[in-house]
Amino acid sequence: MDSDFSLFERHVDALYRSALRLTRKPEDAEDLVQETYLRAYRYRNRFKPGTNEKAWLFTIMTNVFRNRLRQRPAPTEPLDQPGTDFSIYDQLRREGMPVHLMSPEEIIVERGFGDEVKRALEELPLPMRMVVVLVDVEDFSYKEVASILGIKIGTVMSRLHRGRQALQKKLWEYSGRPKARPVAVGAH
Amino acid sequence: MGDHCEQTMRKLSVYIDRELSDAEVRSVKAHLDDCPPCEKVFDFQAEMKRLVRKECCTDDAPARLRDWVRQLAAEKPSARDREA
Ligand SMILES: [Zn+2]
Repeated sequence: MDSDFSLFERHVDALYRSALRLTRKPEDAEDLVQETYLRAYRYRNRFKPGTNEKAWLFTIMTNVFRNRLRQRPAPTEPLDQPGTDFSIYDQLRREGMPVHLMSPEEIIVERGFGDEVKRALEELPLPMRMVVVLVDVEDFSYKEVASILGIKIGTVMSRLHRGRQALQKKLWEYSGRPKARPVAVGAH
Repeated sequence: MGDHCEQTMRKLSVYIDRELSDAEVRSVKAHLDDCPPCEKVFDFQAEMKRLVRKECCTDDAPARLRDWVRQLAAEKPSARDREA
């Protein structure tokens, strides 16, 4: 029996925003999502009704993406790198910022850590980027991510750990650059 | 930093991801309730996770892609299958 394909329609935003993080280009992201849906449509009878259709779609998408990358590697993809022990919070504490008196939101706004999250994420090496996107943005469980990517749960956890540290390190580096500040009115 | 703090910090991200066993959740929670410095770290890391999600959720699919998917979903099964 055919499964109802309209069930898959509602995940288009999730697939698109993740495709954008993977491909980093709107045209490529759109193309990737289209191919994902075409395959899902073609193989819709393999989907078991009652199981997680979002995870099923993401499995298809990451497979299509990896095949494409194999066929034409992106020259600008960052290489995988070893982990760095890094945490923004520890760094601020070391700098003497009174982090214990501030709310996390205050810290983030004060230093502008939120401004370039997407860019920082897109600069992570792919294995880490995929795991961070699937867990932190799409809210998949470790087990689901392991199944989507065909890797072990331990690998999911170590990539996630390294990915988050690398992400914080990038945000830290960006926030340290001088920024154009609005000129204070009336200051002489 | 005590042993308890170190153990808690090691488990913190897994705790934030809600992937610890019930027993581990209880022990991490008990420590966080008791130890303000660890609780602050927890608050910050949890906020960082929310931040990543919030920043990335602003990109919705373009309308034409959404329409295209809707049409595919409405399509009679046979047409595409012959094509494939
Ligand atoms: Zn503690």
